[in-house]
Amino acid sequence: MPERVVTVVPEDGLHARPASVFVETANEYDSEVKVGPEDGDLVNAASMLSVTGLGVSGGEKVRISAEGDDAEEALDALEEVLSTPEDEL
Amino acid sequence: MTERRFEGIGVTPLSGVGTVVWYAPDAELDDPPEPDEVDADAETARFEEARESAREELKAERERTAERVGEDEAAVFDAHVQFLDDPQITDGVSEQISDGLPAEHAVQRTFDRFVEQFEGMEGRMAERADDLRDVRDRLVRVLSGGERVNLAELAEGSVVFAERLTPSDTAQLDPERVAGFVTVTGGRTSHAAIFARSLALPAVVGVGEELNEVEDGAEVVVDGTDGEVIVDPAEETKQAAADEEEVEIRSEPVSTADGVEIEVAGNVGTAADLGPAADRGADGIGLFRTEFLFLDRQSPPDEEEQYETYLEALEAFPDGRVVVRTLDVGGDKPIDYLDLPDEENPFLGERGIRRSLGPDADLFETQLRALLRAAGSDSGGNLAVMLPLVSTVEEVRDARETLDSVAEDLESEGAEYAVPEFGVMVETPAAAFMAPDLASEVEFFSIGTNDLAQYVMAAERGNEHVAELGDYTQPAVLRAVRATVEAAEGTDVWVGMCGEMAGDPDLTELLLGLGLDELSMSAVTVPQVKQAVTETDTEDARKLAEKALSAGTKAEVRRVLTENTQS
Repeated sequence: MPERVVTVVPEDGLHARPASVFVETANEYDSEVKVGPEDGDLVNAASMLSVTGLGVSGGEKVRISAEGDDAEEALDALEEVLSTPEDEL
Repeated sequence: MTERRFEGIGVTPLSGVGTVVWYAPDAELDDPPEPDEVDADAETARFEEARESAREELKAERERTAERVGEDEAAVFDAHVQFLDDPQITDGVSEQISDGLPAEHAVQRTFDRFVEQFEGMEGRMAERADDLRDVRDRLVRVLSGGERVNLAELAEGSVVFAERLTPSDTAQLDPERVAGFVTVTGGRTSHAAIFARSLALPAVVGVGEELNEVEDGAEVVVDGTDGEVIVDPAEETKQAAADEEEVEIRSEPVSTADGVEIEVAGNVGTAADLGPAADRGADGIGLFRTEFLFLDRQSPPDEEEQYETYLEALEAFPDGRVVVRTLDVGGDKPIDYLDLPDEENPFLGERGIRRSLGPDADLFETQLRALLRAAGSDSGGNLAVMLPLVSTVEEVRDARETLDSVAEDLESEGAEYAVPEFGVMVETPAAAFMAPDLASEVEFFSIGTNDLAQYVMAAERGNEHVAELGDYTQPAVLRAVRATVEAAEGTDVWVGMCGEMAGDPDLTELLLGLGLDELSMSAVTVPQVKQAVTETDTEDARKLAEKALSAGTKAEVRRVLTENTQS
């Protein structure tokens, strides 16, 4: 299953708007997408509750994984979101 | 009846009098029926329907909030929609329904589990609990067809009391009918506080559990200046609050009682502040901080983006002056792409104009290009450019040289441009001492009292142990202000003031007596200061300033001011 480790650029981390955009993006793909700490359990990336519940701050690393036909595309899109500063989202 | 006073955090310097309306959105549900009486399919359909209605409501409230408060605040509603669609929520509710619960109970139980989980966490995640409660209450209300206190249809003069106010609550409040609000929880940056400031409503937040003692229907004064809530107020308390409340908003420039016109302008930190400043009657912008353009991003804004932003400010005030301060950053600000040094004492380090003439020379040039082009636009005639943290004459000359070379470049490119008014912020003791020499280099001074007080008194802003020392009514600060104004007298240089001091209506007469031509402040106190200007006689003001300048202690300065108000 393809996965990547990405540094979260938005200063606020996975909260508020960056989290919203992240979850929205995850929902756009058919693949089952997950996110979590670099070396911990992953949660459903399409769930706002799960994503904000991770408590990820800006500058931290997260692991994202995807399973499905469009897995690589989904990961590309999510990596893009995580690498974009908040005011450019 | 004796007054009862409650202390909280005042979030706007406004007061209001009104009648308490307790707003308790938590819906109490009856006990659920027996599981075998519940038709799971019907309940699932009800839940789906409720979700759709809630989604429609959220959409409408999002639009209203974007219009009234701003895009940032409106974004909260996007998160609410996401909670509505969250698989953990929808799965949870379906599960509870198939276990035999009606939709409203299923919603409540499912959300409560997550509310508890988030409440146990810290900081931003605890705030999420508020959002979840908000969405839960909305769904339960829709499902039970219940009416809550309708915030859109309150009686005029209502003071809303609540445990907390959520974005959904404030989106419904009709500011015309609400005399203010008070919350048990919350701080200066809570949603309720931001909302109060953008709509200029009197508000006190974070009062604590004691607030629950106050009965519905009680008469109350909300004093946002002192952060006090006064229940069963005495006549004179009400009168004092009403006097303050009655300040009218004057959108025309004002003059003193003896006819001297004084410019009263707004300080602006982001483009979103422009509207409120104009709404409060600011004549122009006395301090347009440009840092917001540079913060929270990976690379500096280009010339075009800056040009557009400056144009926006100029167009918001077609008849008023717009003073733009060039980039003022130092080691205390996190801007990755600038590679700001880690300094022992960033407030005395490489910051403001020092960086613009040093490591950030390219940025400075780009900013000046954008500014000169904005000055050359149709609405650019009122643009002024101001340098931060000037301490020597050379800095001003070097900056002027850059400005001239930028003008030459634009000329040779055939670009539309104009050279704007050029001035300095007086915020270091050096600038105040050198004001007579600086006066022949510039067209204006603007005294930045927050930093001037900090540097004159060697008392760090933000450090509460030296807050008394760093107060702007210290005689040393007053004398530095006077020295600056005096240096400009008899020249064409005008002198303004931006900073907290300029926005203190109790000091307006003194400041006019000290000889200031312009006062610039946070939008919210513009009406009070304009009012104070109209009540001032310049000759009396001059005498007041003389007395204050001869005072040797801060207590004496304060006494001079108090005696003046009483006479």
